[in-house]
Amino acid sequence: MGKVFGLIAREATLQTIKKSPDTAETLCLAYIVTGDDDAKNLIEGQKCITIDGCPAMCAAKNAELAGGIVEEKVRVVDAFRRHRGANAGTATELTDEGWQITDEIVEEVITKIKELSKEEE
Amino acid sequence: MSENQTKIGVVSCSGEDCLGGTISRLATRKMLEKIYPEETVTICLPLYLAGGEEERSFANDYPTISVDGCSKYCAKRATEKYSGKVSAEINVADIIGKETAEQGPLSGRDITSEHLQMVEQVVEQIQVKFDEVLNKPNSKKKNDGDGGCCCGGNCGC
Repeated sequence: MGKVFGLIAREATLQTIKKSPDTAETLCLAYIVTGDDDAKNLIEGQKCITIDGCPAMCAAKNAELAGGIVEEKVRVVDAFRRHRGANAGTATELTDEGWQITDEIVEEVITKIKELSKEEE
Repeated sequence: MSENQTKIGVVSCSGEDCLGGTISRLATRKMLEKIYPEETVTICLPLYLAGGEEERSFANDYPTISVDGCSKYCAKRATEKYSGKVSAEINVADIIGKETAEQGPLSGRDITSEHLQMVEQVVEQIQVKFDEVLNKPNSKKKNDGDGGCCCGGNCGC
C-alpha cells in the first residue's frame, strides 16, 4: 500500500494472469491472510510464483503459510537493479518507466510459468 | 480537524480479486495522499502475518477503519483476527453495488473516469467514518509522526 514496488507487484500479477489465462490464476492475498479454510483449499499443494514488492516478502510468506508450494519468489526490487535511478511513479500510479519495469517482470514470470507447465507435462 | 490530531489507520483489502478491491485500494491511497495526509496511516494487510509485533499492534495503536472490496471482508476480518477491533468498516460493494464490485480486478492501465467516480464515492464514505471516529472519545493513540505509514514515517513498511 505504501510504495511503488507494491503497485508494480500488483500490476505485474494482473498482467500475467491476463496474458496466461489458461495456465495461471491468482488468489487475493488478503483472502489468504484471513486464514479461511476456503482460501487455504485454493492454494494448498499448488505450485505458486510469488511477486513481492518489498523485502518483507509478504506474498511468499503468506503463500507458504497457507500451504502453497512456492517455486519462484520474484522481487520487484531486483528488477530495479536494471533500472537504477528510475522514476517508476508512486504507490497510486505508475509512470512509463514503472510500466516498463512491470512488463519486464511479467515476461519473467510468464517464462517461469511456461517452464513449470512443461515440467508438469 | 482539531489541532490535537489523532492518526487513524485505514486498512484496505489488497484487491487482486475484484473491481471493488481495486477501488478500495485507490480510495485508501487518496485518503493518504490528498484528503487527510497528516492524519491517515495505513499498513499492508499481509504484514499482519509476515511482519512482527509492531505490525500486529497496528489496530491497538490506532483507531482503524477497514475498507473492503467485497463481502469476504478480508481487511476487517484479518485486522480483527491478528491485531484488534476496527473502529469502523466500509464495504465498497455497499457503495458501488455488489454486481459492479464483483467484476474482475482492474489494472491501472484500464481505469476510466467512471472508476474514478466510484473512488470518489468511497472516499466520501471513508471521510464520514473518519470524522466519526475522530470525534469519538478515547481514540487509541496520538502520534507525532507526520508521514503516512504506521511507523510514523512515510515508508509504508
